[in-house]
Parts: sequence; structure tokens; C-alpha cells
Amino acid sequence: MSSHREAPEISKDPVADSTDVYAFVSPDKPDTVTLIANYVPLEEPAGGPNFYEFGDDVLYEIHIDNDGDALAEITYQFIFQTQTRNPDSFLYNTGQITSIDSKNWNRPQFYSVTRVNANGTSTVLGSNLACPPCNIGPLRSTPNYQQLAEAAIHNLTGGGSIFAGQRAEGFYVDLGSIFDLADLRPFQNLHLIPSPAAPGVNGTQGYNVHSIAIQVPKTQLTSDGLNPTDPSSPVSVIGVWTTASRRKATILQSNGQNVESGPFVQVSRLGDPLINEVIIALGDKDRWNASQPVNDKQFAHYYAHPELAKLLPVLYPGVFPNLAAYTKDRVDLEAILLTGIPSGIITGFQNSTGSTQADMLRLNMAIPPSSSPNILGILGGDLAGFPNGRRVFDDIVAVELRAVAGVTIPLVDKSFTPDGAASVINDFSPPSIPSGVSYIKQFPYLGVPFNGFDSQPHP
Amino acid sequence: MAKLTRRGFIGQTTASVATIGVLAAVPTLAAAPEMTDVAASDSTAAAELYATTFSESLVAHVSDLASGEVTIMSGTKEFILRDTDLVMRLLKAVH
Repeated sequence: MSSHREAPEISKDPVADSTDVYAFVSPDKPDTVTLIANYVPLEEPAGGPNFYEFGDDVLYEIHIDNDGDALAEITYQFIFQTQTRNPDSFLYNTGQITSIDSKNWNRPQFYSVTRVNANGTSTVLGSNLACPPCNIGPLRSTPNYQQLAEAAIHNLTGGGSIFAGQRAEGFYVDLGSIFDLADLRPFQNLHLIPSPAAPGVNGTQGYNVHSIAIQVPKTQLTSDGLNPTDPSSPVSVIGVWTTASRRKATILQSNGQNVESGPFVQVSRLGDPLINEVIIALGDKDRWNASQPVNDKQFAHYYAHPELAKLLPVLYPGVFPNLAAYTKDRVDLEAILLTGIPSGIITGFQNSTGSTQADMLRLNMAIPPSSSPNILGILGGDLAGFPNGRRVFDDIVAVELRAVAGVTIPLVDKSFTPDGAASVINDFSPPSIPSGVSYIKQFPYLGVPFNGFDSQPHP
Repeated sequence: MAKLTRRGFIGQTTASVATIGVLAAVPTLAAAPEMTDVAASDSTAAAELYATTFSESLVAHVSDLASGEVTIMSGTKEFILRDTDLVMRLLKAVH
């Protein structure tokens, strides 16, 4: 998946497992940027009675580097607190939840958001902010869910908006196919173990996630405090990643209450999609999650010679001959994913953050939102899409698979001709958002979560 | 149906040595010969530890028996203490 269950240790800790990060210029408020960090992968909507929550014992953070040093100049911290209104009931809700402060909601969750600057000064932007409940059922428990969720969009001190709560999974991928020895369409029949052509199956269909979404004026993110207007300026580019941290020590007591102590220790991180999932090898995944972007040079060899690029010619004999013969370092992937795309490669675009190799989702905030977005982002000629940040609907699986298969090598090595197959790889044919995946046109952009009563996840 | 077809086709073919949690303040810390604040290397932080531990849980992690290194955690603070005597007494307590 994008980063769902991507490493051995974090796969056992879903509350702290970051699944996706999005960063884009808000299409309906282009003077702002929306940052979204998703957690809790593959929420089965009917999974009660203890429906999904953020972890009260997890420190969630969204980091922004705005001067190219791969260190956070701005960090938004999120701390959650959950209440049990009626400990004598086993129910998540003891009646209809018709408002966000309904006493019938037995497990309300609240949070604070704090902005921490590079010099360590912190400002509480909001506290005791309410999350919405999970979407239980439209008739009895959570009628008018959309209104409930909208009531959980809060204004921030100093400008901007915030939302934290359940959302429909917006990331789509044919999991069953890709992790079944890279069964790729449209040439499944050419696989070493061939199968007949079949349409893609969205493995995340019908599941929910928990999203932390924050929308802030661009002027609050740039290093000079000005609105970025020049796409060629380094000041226009930010690097974004999320982390989740837990206290260093946990003592399990016989009364069921844990005692936690010590500093927070990072257990999950995510910037660009699919990196720890597909690029980093199993033996390094847990260490990658605990490490900092500024130290990612240690992982650069995985980008220079990705395992998947070696596998494709083996799994598809004769389909990727040019890729098979290419033995140079994948400078294209190192640039796109570790340092950003420098000026002069793509007309009118750059999102370079300098020479420090670091996994960050890089967004050039001076590129305006596209009036006709292409889900293939820059590969599809849409400079407002991935890997210029990432919008909720971008088909990052197709983009990264094609890149790994070699379509981006000519950006840095004109002597290379990509194999014909590389530019047609797709999960869903033709590249499209699978049916059942929906988004909304305003903050927080991810769709209304699937309700437990009606849902049929992964049909 | 597509899913069934596809699936149907395929169907055919810490080097930690010891960890000791101490859920109470440990008065013997006052005699600790060496203490380092891991987070800040600030000597005043140690004083803060003494001030706070009596109201909070305190966790000691013996990360290296041979060196007598004990990691002390209280609140969000962390200190490394080197005290082989303390380690030996803790070891005795669990044997």
C-alpha cells in the first residue's frame, strides 16, 4: 500500500501507522496549502463496538522544511484525549449522535494542535478541539454524518482550518495484484506465471482511515513569510513529512492501565508514498521508520538500484529489455524522491530542496492548482500533481511504477529509451479513479467515511 | 466476477540485557556518581528530575549490566546513570 502496514514493527501498531501524506495548494483556496496525514490503515467500517480512534498515547506530527536543510522549521503537533462518558455501558453510542457534542457519544475524542518553530518556540493553535465520531450507521447512530463531520472543522488561531477524524480511504491500489509477484496490467499474460487480463480490484475499497488535515495560509509556511509566486524560487518549495512517536517506556500493569514514561521515540514516518513500502528492504524498514529525513543518505542505495526495477525484467521476460540492460545508478529516482526535481528538467517547474538527500513530499507552492487535474500528475503534464506534492486523488501507484520501470530515466540520461511497457503500466485500465472512491471539493477533501451499517469493504 | 476469475486462475496454477521498571521514586538516586541528561546535557535538568520524580512514576532501564549503565526515565525526561553498585543491588533483587 502507500505506507499501510509497510514495516514489520509498525504493522503491529495501527494507531501509530501513518498511511498517506498529502500536500497541495488548496484548489478552492489557492492562497492556502492543505496538509493531510492519515493514520490507522484499513479501518473496517463496521468494526465496533470499539470503533477507531487516534491514540491518546501517540504524538502525531506534521513537519515542514522550508529552507532545504531537510530539518523541520515548522512542526504541527497533535495530542489526543479520549473520554468515556458512561463507563457502565459497553456501547460506543448510547443513542443517536445528532450533534458533535451529543451526550449519546460515549467515546468523544478531543485534541490540541501546537505549532513549534525551529527555535523551539511553540504556539498552541487550538485546544479541546472535537473530533467527529466514526460513521456507524445512517439511520440509527450517526444520521446526517456529513453535518457531524463538518462541525468538526475548526478555525485555527492565526488563520487556517483543522480537522481530525475518520475519512474514507482515498488511496487506491490493486493490492492483491501488486503483492502477488507484481502482477501488472495490461500485460498480465506476459508474466512469468501468466494470467488472463482482468480489471483492477481496488484493495482499499470501502475502508476508512483517520485523517489529520490542516489548511494554512502559504505565508505561514514560507521561510520569508511571503506569498510564493515564483515557481523557480527555492523559497516556493517546502518538504513535508509526518511522524508518530510513542513514549520510550511502557509498563503494563495488572489493572489494565499502562504507565508510560520517558521521551517520545519516533516509530513511524512518511513523506513520499511507497518509499518504505517498496523501495526500502525488509531489514531496514523499522530503522527507516525511526530515522530522520536528514539522514536518508544512508538509504540512497535503495533508490539507486531499486529491487523492483531488477524484478520487472525477470517477472516479465522480454518485456523490459532496456531496463534490464540499464546498470547505472537511478539518478532520476534519486532526484525525484530524495532531492526534488531541479530547474531545467521540466519546463516551468522545479521542486528541488538542494543537495541533502531526504525523503520528503516536496511541494512547489507557487504552482497554482490545475483547472483540469490529471491523476498522473507531472507524468500526465499536470504540474500541480504528484510528485509536486500530492493531491488526494493522484494515482501515485501508476506514477511510481512507471518511474521505477524507467520512464523517468530520460529526464537525466538522454541515451536511455524506456521500454514500451513502462509507460502503459496501470492498476486500473485506463488510468482512472476506481468506482466507489470519492472525494469532496472542499476541506478536508477526503470523502465522507463509509458507514458500518451499509459498508461492504473490498467487494 | 473479475475478482473471482483472477483468483480462480491463480488457484489452479534493544540488545537490552535487562529491563527493570520501578514504579516509585528511588531515594538512592541522590548518591548517583554520574548522571547525564540525554536530552539536553544540562546539569539543571538533573535537579528538575529530583523535583518531579516524587510525583510521577520513574522507570529505570538497565541497558548494560557490565558498564553499570542505567537509563532513568521520568515524565518526558531521560537520564543515563552509571552506578554499578545500584545495578548489582537491582540484579540481586530479581534473583
